[in-house]
Amino acid sequence: MEKRTADVIIIGGGIMGCSTAYRLAKEGVDVLVLEQKEIGNGGSCRNAGGVRQSARNPKELQLAMYAVANVWPTLSDELEVNTEYHQKGNLRLGLTESDIKVLENHTAKSTKVGLDVKMISGDEAREICPYMSKEVIAASWCPTDGHANPLKTTLGFYRKALQYGATFITGVKVLGLKKVKGRCTTVVTDDGEYVGNNVLLCAGYYSRAIANTVGIDAPVERQFNEVVVTEACPEMFDVMIGVAGGEFYGHQSEHGSFVLGGNSGLQAFTSNNDKFVTNSLTAPTISRGIIKYFPALKDVKIIRTWSGHYDQCIDVLPIIDNIPEVPGLTVAFGFSGHGFGIAPAVSIALKELIMEGESSTIDISQLSYDRFKAKG
Amino acid sequence: MKRHELIVIGAGPAGLSAAIEAAKAGIDVVVFDENARPGGQLFKQIHKFFGSKEHHAKERGFRIGEDLLKEAEEVGVRVELNSTVMGIYENKEVTVRNGDEVDHYKADKILIATGAAENMIPFKGWDTPGVIGAGAAQALMNLQGVQPGSKILMVGSGNVGLVVSLQLLQAGCEVVAVIDAAPRVGGYGVHAAKVARTGVPFYLSHTIVEAKGGDRVKSAVIAEVDNHFQPIPGTEKELDVDTICIAVGLSPMSQLASNATCDMALMPKKGGNVAILNEYGETSIPGIYCAGDVAGIEEASSAMIQGRRVADHVALSLGYLTHDEFEQKYDNATAALNQLRQGMFSPANKGRTDLTVTDEGYPLSMSLLKKGYMTEAELKAFPAAQNSAPGIHPVIECTQNIPCNPCQDACKFDCIKVGADIVKLPEINTESKCTGCGMCVASCSGQAIFLINEDYEPGYATVSLPYEFLPLPKKGDKGKALGRDGSPVCDAEIVSVRSAPAMDKTQILTMKIPLEYVHAARFYKA
Amino acid sequence: MSKIVRTQKKEPFVPQPDDDMIICRCEEITKGEIRKAVYDGMTTMNEVKRWLRSGMGLCQGQTCQRLVQNIIARELNESPAEVGMIQGRAPVRPVEILTFSNNKTDVKEDE
Repeated sequence: MEKRTADVIIIGGGIMGCSTAYRLAKEGVDVLVLEQKEIGNGGSCRNAGGVRQSARNPKELQLAMYAVANVWPTLSDELEVNTEYHQKGNLRLGLTESDIKVLENHTAKSTKVGLDVKMISGDEAREICPYMSKEVIAASWCPTDGHANPLKTTLGFYRKALQYGATFITGVKVLGLKKVKGRCTTVVTDDGEYVGNNVLLCAGYYSRAIANTVGIDAPVERQFNEVVVTEACPEMFDVMIGVAGGEFYGHQSEHGSFVLGGNSGLQAFTSNNDKFVTNSLTAPTISRGIIKYFPALKDVKIIRTWSGHYDQCIDVLPIIDNIPEVPGLTVAFGFSGHGFGIAPAVSIALKELIMEGESSTIDISQLSYDRFKAKG
Repeated sequence: MKRHELIVIGAGPAGLSAAIEAAKAGIDVVVFDENARPGGQLFKQIHKFFGSKEHHAKERGFRIGEDLLKEAEEVGVRVELNSTVMGIYENKEVTVRNGDEVDHYKADKILIATGAAENMIPFKGWDTPGVIGAGAAQALMNLQGVQPGSKILMVGSGNVGLVVSLQLLQAGCEVVAVIDAAPRVGGYGVHAAKVARTGVPFYLSHTIVEAKGGDRVKSAVIAEVDNHFQPIPGTEKELDVDTICIAVGLSPMSQLASNATCDMALMPKKGGNVAILNEYGETSIPGIYCAGDVAGIEEASSAMIQGRRVADHVALSLGYLTHDEFEQKYDNATAALNQLRQGMFSPANKGRTDLTVTDEGYPLSMSLLKKGYMTEAELKAFPAAQNSAPGIHPVIECTQNIPCNPCQDACKFDCIKVGADIVKLPEINTESKCTGCGMCVASCSGQAIFLINEDYEPGYATVSLPYEFLPLPKKGDKGKALGRDGSPVCDAEIVSVRSAPAMDKTQILTMKIPLEYVHAARFYKA
Repeated sequence: MSKIVRTQKKEPFVPQPDDDMIICRCEEITKGEIRKAVYDGMTTMNEVKRWLRSGMGLCQGQTCQRLVQNIIARELNESPAEVGMIQGRAPVRPVEILTFSNNKTDVKEDE
């Protein structure tokens, strides 16, 4: 008999779905994950791999700090896969006085909630990463930040979830949700209905349309970014790099290739973005940004470019919550382009939300669904 | 940003033909090619092509390339060399790398004619230096003038494997064996026969299991395979070779079509991942076309027609051709293409191993399919091979339905007839008087026509055969006549060596041999 | 992509004698690694690529794509067309960052 029911049905086979499936299955919960395309096809495998606490909104910083302190350091052992997690710090670079103001502002906010991050001079930044241009005049420095391989991590969670007994069904498109006797139990797909006691909706941008079918909405829209990937190079730096000006971000992977993201602001206007097309002007824009900060990389060859979209929430924070209006429905979306690094902690919160009704390990109270709703 | 009516990507046979046709229609066209010289693979093709006159039959590939370039220049086609198309973006935007800059172009229409890349098969040691693609070997020999090795194993008996084997022999290399995992020779029998008669053994149902030597190929281990293409233990043979040439087919280089988000499909009969095309060669994205090997692996002759046909459709949609004009051109091109797509090697018959007779009903030579040469007994079924007219006369050992007819045009005395259906086997009109001019021998791209004279001298006959090796034997030279399998059959004396400009470098050797070997002797070895 | 149901395989992974054969030469991925990836649940070209890097090297899969498709298909007992193919991405040939930055059409002025 083909599997049609489960304790928990998870919509979305990205890192949120895979990691939560893993945590639930490990607890013995019967989990079924539905994915429209392939495992990790969306933003989970289309990001630059930042495991970053600095420059985060304090409302979600708890998730990032928890993940860095308690999950990432041992995640490779836990998943029995090399997640390529390197905790060598994050430099966020500034070229101008106004850049410095942006960096100082973030640094002050993060320090207040206990993150070890500070402003350093251009020369200090160059000591950490010697290939940097002299034009960098300051940077914020968070030594406990890092980066990892999103593909290995996402698929590593997937594989472990399988090993603990989770079922994944791919190639099935979720059309909507249905409340039955007051509880959201039924997932309607192009392959018929799937029924669970709980439904977790974590399908990135596509979550919104699915949530709409039970009258739930959130101010989330698509935002597009692109990434350039270079040939493998000898190790040059191991820090995660961001820039206050926003021209690019990324790191050098364990493999040796540089994985550097950015945008030209034009991606959103390409019409064929369900096929993840790139814009002809974005990679050149990212390239100019790279050369401005790292002239030493000018002769490194780009071997591919790709695009992805993320689910940008209006306040740039995710919605991670049990939906009170629709009992049985848990949501996690709106990660706004920085979900990868916190995913291993988000899945702990989601497991608790589903199994215990609330997230007791990590405080996610500021990420509730009703923050966009009228009070009372 | 510069905008052109038609951007053609790739200056090979398909791309150049399309550009010429487009320019003739008045279309503003530019061709980008990443290589330093145009022509695609044509310039390494030194063998004569098949087909009929309109397909450039009996012309050598590189000459077709020269002709195309000349014509392109005459009609004012702009060919931008060293210009690598990097990507195709929305609204037909194309980025082109030229030196250390990137240019952006727009087009009304785009033709992707990027050709194909060689397939590889994995085996133990396949990454050892000395394992090379057959196409790469061909480029080394015919473009760079370098021998790829001295003792060579050819893996693959398709046309590429067979043609390159012959060229390796011509370049002075030893071809130790031709092997193929399939139970039948994949390429034209006539190509195989050219190689086999020099003495190269064919091992069908054999695969390569290992390249030995570590940092350089020192030997190759081959083994027989079972019905599932798995090596049969205990059948291994170690061959003393220094180079292993891989000729196991080509894959369309369709990345740009995929990059442009054309709908793609894996189509084994077309050689791999290709864009899905309509009857005009247009992809799922209107105005983006594919032609030539990127649309499905075929011969250069089909690529040229496909390219022209795409250009005609572009001309129609841009208003340079009326519907009627287009229909006529389309029908002509399609008819020419269909002529090439007939016979036992047509795309539709690709991979078939169940054919047992020719269109005429003659039994196919199993020896040719298994060993690369025909037996005398098998040839008895083919009238044109059994011609025994008095005096000098042709015998034609053309026994598979291949679309080709230059032999018919070559004979000024109407001695040879193929007919309108060019896939038919040639027939000999024994009423016509053969003068022994040898034009049929030289014009046969399959080198399957021989002139024999059983009345040469009492007890002696002559066999005239096509010869494309150096050093060229001289009149009076004495050596051995070889059989179709390359083994010596008798002593032979060269009584004439002929060539003419119209023969295009194919020499005709006439050897005198004892009469009883006239049906066995088909090659000469000093 | 058609529907695929994925669960952990019950039977153990069975090594084969030629598992150490390199298939993706750019990234040095072996046949055994690809077979193990399929065993571990990677059932499409893209998933195997993301898991192992096969086809992510300099040639972007031109050499190994068909081989990898065939190995995955054989492991799953499917036709190679079912396992999907690698998306072609610009630049289809490697291009230096400096060259990339020298595109002649600017989107925004450098500050």
